[in-house]
Parts: sequence; C-alpha cells; structure tokens
Amino acid sequence: MPQAEPAVTVQEVSRRFGHRWVLRQVSLEVAPGEAVLLVGGNGAGKTTLLRVVSGLLRPNKGSVKLGGAVGMVAHHTMMYDALTARENLTFFARLHGLSIRQRIDGLLQRMGLAHVGDERIGTFSRGMLQRLAIARALMHEPKVLLLDEPLTGLDDAASRTVIDVLGELEQRAVGLMVATHQLVELVGTAHRVGYMVNGRLAAIEPCAGDAGQVVERYRELASGG
Amino acid sequence: MTRRESALRIARRGAVVTGVALLGLVGIYIRALMFTPIERFQGPAQKIFYVHAPMAWAALLAFLVTGVLSLLYLIMRDRKLDLIASSSAEVGVAFSLVMLTTGPLWGKPVWGTWWSWDARLTSTLFIFLLFVGYLVLRGALHDPEVRARFSAVMGVMALALVPFIHVTVYWFRTLHPEPVLMKPERPGLPGVMLVTLLSSVAVCTVLYIGFLLLRYALTVLQDLKEEEMVDGVS
Amino acid sequence: MASPLSPILAIAAKDLLVERRTKTAFFSSLVFALLVLTILYFARDKTAVGDLDLAPGALWVTFTFAGMLGLNRAFALEMGNRAIDGVRLTPASATEIFLGKVLGSLIFVGLVELTAVPVFVLFYDVPIWRQLPLLLLVIALATVGFVSVGTLFSAMVVRTRFSEVMLPVLLLPFLFPPVVAAVQLTRSLLANRPLSEVSGWLSLLAGFVIVFSTFSLFLFEAILEE
Repeated sequence: MPQAEPAVTVQEVSRRFGHRWVLRQVSLEVAPGEAVLLVGGNGAGKTTLLRVVSGLLRPNKGSVKLGGAVGMVAHHTMMYDALTARENLTFFARLHGLSIRQRIDGLLQRMGLAHVGDERIGTFSRGMLQRLAIARALMHEPKVLLLDEPLTGLDDAASRTVIDVLGELEQRAVGLMVATHQLVELVGTAHRVGYMVNGRLAAIEPCAGDAGQVVERYRELASGG
Repeated sequence: MTRRESALRIARRGAVVTGVALLGLVGIYIRALMFTPIERFQGPAQKIFYVHAPMAWAALLAFLVTGVLSLLYLIMRDRKLDLIASSSAEVGVAFSLVMLTTGPLWGKPVWGTWWSWDARLTSTLFIFLLFVGYLVLRGALHDPEVRARFSAVMGVMALALVPFIHVTVYWFRTLHPEPVLMKPERPGLPGVMLVTLLSSVAVCTVLYIGFLLLRYALTVLQDLKEEEMVDGVS
Repeated sequence: MASPLSPILAIAAKDLLVERRTKTAFFSSLVFALLVLTILYFARDKTAVGDLDLAPGALWVTFTFAGMLGLNRAFALEMGNRAIDGVRLTPASATEIFLGKVLGSLIFVGLVELTAVPVFVLFYDVPIWRQLPLLLLVIALATVGFVSVGTLFSAMVVRTRFSEVMLPVLLLPFLFPPVVAAVQLTRSLLANRPLSEVSGWLSLLAGFVIVFSTFSLFLFEAILEE
C-alpha cells in the first residue's frame, strides 16, 4: 500500500533572532492522523518551531512542506476583541473563501459556545477563547493543526473538550503538533514525543502513554545524555 | 581572515583615505581663500560656496548609496548591504547638516536672507529629514533583521521621493520667483573658480568614502561584539 | 463562489466594524480637524491675508494631520491579540491585505474629510460650488496617495514604542509633493481659474499617486513577513 504523503515535513530548519539561533537543524515528519507532542523548557524553540511550520515565520535555513492547509491555536487568540464570536468566525471564513453560515453555527455548537455567539470576545474567559480559537482553526478543514500550550489556563471541562477534539481530528487523518508542558492530560493522545533542547530536536520517539517516562527521558536528554 | 581582522583592515584604509581627504580639504581652503579671485557681485562670502555646494553633493551621494543598497538588500537580503547603507546614512546626515548650516552663512550676505527655498537647498533639507527619519526608525527597532528590512523599505521609498521633491520645489519657485541677483549654482564660472569647485567636489567625495569606510568598520566591530555577547550567554 | 475582491472587502469591512465598536479614532480625528481649522482661522491677520489665500493651506494642513490620526489605528487594532497573524494564516495575500487596509482607511479618512469640508466652507466662506467635482477629484487623489504611503508606514511604526510620533516623522516628508500640488490646485479651483493653468500640478499629483501607491503595494510584503 503506498505511503500517504506526510502532513508535515520539516527539513533541517534553522532560525535565528538577531545573533541567537533559536532553532538548529530541526527535521521531522508528521503523518496524517498522527499526533506529535513537543516537549522542552522555556526558550527551547517549541513556539518558534510551530510558527515556522505554520508559515508565520520564515526559516533562515531549511524548508517546511505541508500536506494541506494548516490551522493554528496559539498563546494569543489572533482574533478581534471588539467583534463577536460569530463576527470573528465569519471574517476569517471570508478570508478562506468560505461562505458557511450554517457551519459556523455548527462549530459554535460543537465547542459549547452557541450561547455566546453574539457577544464580544473581549469578555470571554480563557477557556472560551481557546475553544473559539479551535473552532476558527478548524473552519477550513485543515490537514494540519498546530497547538501551542492549548490547555494552559483551562478548567477540567474545557480541557476535556479540547482533548476530545484532538482525538476526533486524529480519526480524520489530520496531522497534529502540540507543544505542551501539561503531559499528563495529553500523553494519552500522542503517538510520538519530540524532545526539544536548546533549539535542537534531541530525539523523537514513540509515546508509551506514560507521563513520568516522558519527563525522565527529557531530563536525560537535557543533561546531555 | 576573520571578520574582526577584515573590519580592522577596512578601518585602517578608511583612516588613510580620510586623512588624505582632510589634507585635500585644507588644500582647498587655502586655494579658495588665497588663490581664487573674489567673486564680483557676492564678495568674499561667496567662498563658502566651495564648501557648501560639494557638501551638498556628498550628502546626495550618501543618500543615493543608502537608497540603492536598501533596494539591493530587499532583493538579496545580505546583512552587509544593510550595514553599509546605515553607515552611509549616518555619514550623510553629518554632511547634510554641514550643508544646511553653511547655506545660511552664505545666503545672508549674498541674498539678504538666511534661508532661500531654492530647489537645491530644499532638496537637501528633505534629504536631511529623510536621513533623520531613517535613523530614528532604526533606533526604534531592536531586532536586527526587522530593523534591516524596515529601514531598507524606508530607504527605497526615500530614494523615489527625492525627484518629486525637486520637481515640486522647482515648479513652486517658477510660480513664485524670489528676487535673486545671481544664479551662483550655474557652472558658468571662470576657469580658476571652476577648478577650485571641482577639486572641492572630488575632495568631498573622497572624504565621504573615508568616513563611510570608518563608520562601516565600526558598525561591523559593534556587530561582532554583540554576537560574542550572545554566544557567551547561550 | 467568493469573488476575488472578497478578502479585500472583508478586511475593510472588519476594520470599519471594529472602529464602529470602539468609536475612538473617528471622533478624535473629526474634533481634531475642526480644532485645527478654527485655530488656523484665528491665527491669521485679517488685514494682510485674504480668506481665499489662507483657505487652501488651512484645509490641507487640517486633512494631513487629522488623516494621520486615522492611519495609526489601521494596524494598532491588529496588534492586540496578534490578530494580524490570524489573517496571515489565511490564503489572503500581502497585496489583498494591503488593499483591504487602504480601503478601510480611505473610507475612514474620507468620512472625516467629507465632514470637515462643510465646516471649512462655513468658516472660511469659500465659493466651493463652482468647481466642486474637480475639487473632489483633487481631494480624492491626494487622499489616495497619502493613505497608501501612510498604510505602509503605519505597518512599520506599529512595531515601535512611540508609533504615534514616529508616523508623522516618517510620513510628512512624503506628503510634501502631494500636499503642495493639492494646495495649488485647490487655490486655483476656488479662484475659478481654468484647469489648464494648473495641469502641471495635476500631473504631479497623479504621478505621485501612481508611483507611490505602486511602491507601497509592492513593499508591503517585506513589512508583513517575519
């Protein structure tokens, strides 16, 4: 059976800010329906890597190839506080060339936001914003979804929703890259774990579903093991 | 050769060139004050012209270098081009400032006013303002890559603007002519004065190159120092 | 099927919607314009300068400074939640984003101008009706030139700390040709002179608009990328 084209191909990507190299020769592949966790300390390059994969940042060296459209959920909502949830989604839908009134309603429903669809998102809680950001990222049915610390500041219910969505996406052959500190919640959905140390991808290994193991392995790699 | 050695070599060359140019400048002063005849209508004050006009030329040259290198940077993204462009801007600011201060010193005795809105003076004023804007923008941006890219955009826009400034002032002046006794800019100068003027232009060009080399070398050394600091930390 | 204009219109509409919700920039610009018109009026010596001599300059100084207030908001609203990154993640090209922003600002600045003009006519008692269409053409042309360059520059300065000050510092030299041309044209039109007398200024203005709108459009991508 022919191998499906990877959702994400990162080849020898390096990126610097000023004189500091934040990413050094990172290479990895994410298959459709595969979830890869990125773990690493602050400043290890996780956010930068995701931004390069998304196309928001250009790599100084190397290249990124995507097997389809990309969606992203990041630390900033990347939406307009003064507009309502519906208005935000409609705006971004128009930019994607979609006229999907009904789909927007469906998305809001799925993410539990139907009751606040016409309120300005400036009033939303972190959990609501995150769910809306996911709705926006999924609107155009991307083949790749990138998430940067998706569970930060979320309560249990909101976290649950997000994890469920990730599971669904894996079923639908969407490639996922998730940068996170919160291993316990997400280690169950991951297929592989990528360990970032000082801008390098120190290792990328299958995930056994044990958060403790991941932490151990990270410590090993971070101390030069 | 390491970057550091290369920068120091450029600095040495720059010092030599600047030294030669400064000697040349002294020579020009001597020639202008002692050996060039006093202009009939304007008197001794006209001699400022031998410094003022070539300085304007050097400022324009600096501006063109910054503009062209900005365009090349946007195409080729070579950091060296950005460093030379910004060095040229700093040197250019100095030259245009000299030009703008000597202008009134010449203008008052000759035209009776400190400032005249003629095309050349006004264009140089705008070049000065554009240089200042360019440098202020650079100062406000801290990421070197963003700084290089944004100031390159500014440089290209500024380059495109200067012809428009010149035309605007020229047309405005033909509508509202100022009462001027002479048109001293025109090279209808007798031989001796022309030689002084042209030599001064040559000397100012060489002076510009010397300053540019020195400033560029300094920029490279600063850049190296920053790089070392970053490497030390990470 | 969405039309090719759709991203541009969507961005412009979104900008205007955000402005309508926040309501800050428009009224500030408008009040500013009225204040400048008033101050310039009282600052003149009535015996030395006729109204018709002063008026064109006053109008364009007003438009220029009020317009700059409006330009800053164009990218300031994108910085809050890094909304601009959300836009960059869509298929919208740098060109479409630029044109959308310019369109939004044109409508904004245009509304300020249209509101200021009747006040201007009132204060300075100028006979605007004689050459109204041509006058509107001049205002439109100069505004397009000013907004195009201003949009490019505001995208740059929004990343700096003192963006409200930096924008005028960078932009004003570029406004010299179009504003001088616009003032000459306005003066001539208000004095009911034939257009042929000032056709040179009209070509300068048109030339400026064509050259600098094009440059701004092409250079914008270099500002947007990271």
